[in-house]
Amino acid sequence: MAKESTTIDIGEPSTVTKSTNHDVVDEKKKSFVTAAAGGGYKRGLAILDFLLRLAAIGITIGASSVMFTAEETLPFFTQFLQFQAGYDDFPTFQFFVIAIAIVASYLVLSLPFSIVTIVRPLAVAPRLILLISDTVVLTLTTAAAAAAASIVYLAHNGNANTNWLPICQQFGDFCQTTSTAVVAASISVVFFILLIVISAIALKKH
Amino acid sequence: MKNESTIIDVPAETSSAMKGKAPLIGMAKDHTTSASGGYKRGLSIFDFLLRLAAIIAASVAAGTMFTSDETLPFFTQFLQFEAGYDDLPTYQFFVIAMSMVSGYLVLSLPISVVTIVRPLATAPRLLLLVLDTAALAFNMAAASSAAAISYLAHNGNQNTNWLPICQQFGDFCLKSSGAVVSSFVAVVFFTILVVLSGVALKRH
Repeated sequence: MAKESTTIDIGEPSTVTKSTNHDVVDEKKKSFVTAAAGGGYKRGLAILDFLLRLAAIGITIGASSVMFTAEETLPFFTQFLQFQAGYDDFPTFQFFVIAIAIVASYLVLSLPFSIVTIVRPLAVAPRLILLISDTVVLTLTTAAAAAAASIVYLAHNGNANTNWLPICQQFGDFCQTTSTAVVAASISVVFFILLIVISAIALKKH
Repeated sequence: MKNESTIIDVPAETSSAMKGKAPLIGMAKDHTTSASGGYKRGLSIFDFLLRLAAIIAASVAAGTMFTSDETLPFFTQFLQFEAGYDDLPTYQFFVIAMSMVSGYLVLSLPISVVTIVRPLATAPRLLLLVLDTAALAFNMAAASSAAAISYLAHNGNQNTNWLPICQQFGDFCLKSSGAVVSSFVAVVFFTILVVLSGVALKRH
């Protein structure tokens, strides 16, 4: 193998070379700034996610406790008929109370994960965990809210074909309270959908 | 400005050896992008197949509930002995909601095909994720409200004097319960679809 040698002219003195090093450092700073900017926008999404979770905790705890305390006793009675109504008279309402309580405790347990996404906005694993578990909990919340809504509808309107009488005509307060609980649970469903969409947007790569 | 010059020794190599080096670097890069694209393409194909299965589940649910009529072979002057999905508003909502969900799934098939063809694009996947989440919630609402009514029809409620109608209308109850189960299967498919889109959106 023959060795070839060549002469390369380096046309700049060392002081100018230092300024080109500075340009290289500037480029490194630029890439760091772009990473921080992407991190900044994701951090904003993470903060919004945290606030939505706090609001959803409040609403779900409210819905569950309102349904739990939805009792009414009418001021008259006979020997044969009961004139009390409570959430435990309806298996669907029992399911509602338990399911929404589970959802509220899940939300409290997911707060640390949300804080991790605020502190480390570019980490993918916490967001993916939140997305998957939020989807599962969304289905549970929707199930509880919709089942209770169908029973509340029946209580308000009855059904002529099956001879199911509308009980709201006797138990006005009970109906009012249970309807409020169902509305609150439906609002929490909307919050969950927003949470899932936020996690998905933040997962997106740039 | 002073010109500095230096002497660098370049060991001579044959041109074929030089040619041999360059393609390796190029191939290494292609390999990394096609690896992540290939894995995402696999997820997209699985997404497409799940969508087809969910279409079947949702349309079976809507169709079964729609055709769940039953007429008993006896009658009196005062009571009706027919039962159909339109006797219960919740079942009406169920049929309409499941038909809308099946229609949405059919319309989302082209977007799924786009994610197969362009596995690294994020916009179609994000769109699918958002729409799938809304459809999941809608499907679950229809399924669980119909399930609550089915439970009532099977068991009744003593406290409110709501009688269980399944004891007279056995076939109607069977078909409507089957439709509810089918729509819960569609819910499971939707959940997997949403999680798939989330995993595929993840950057590398």
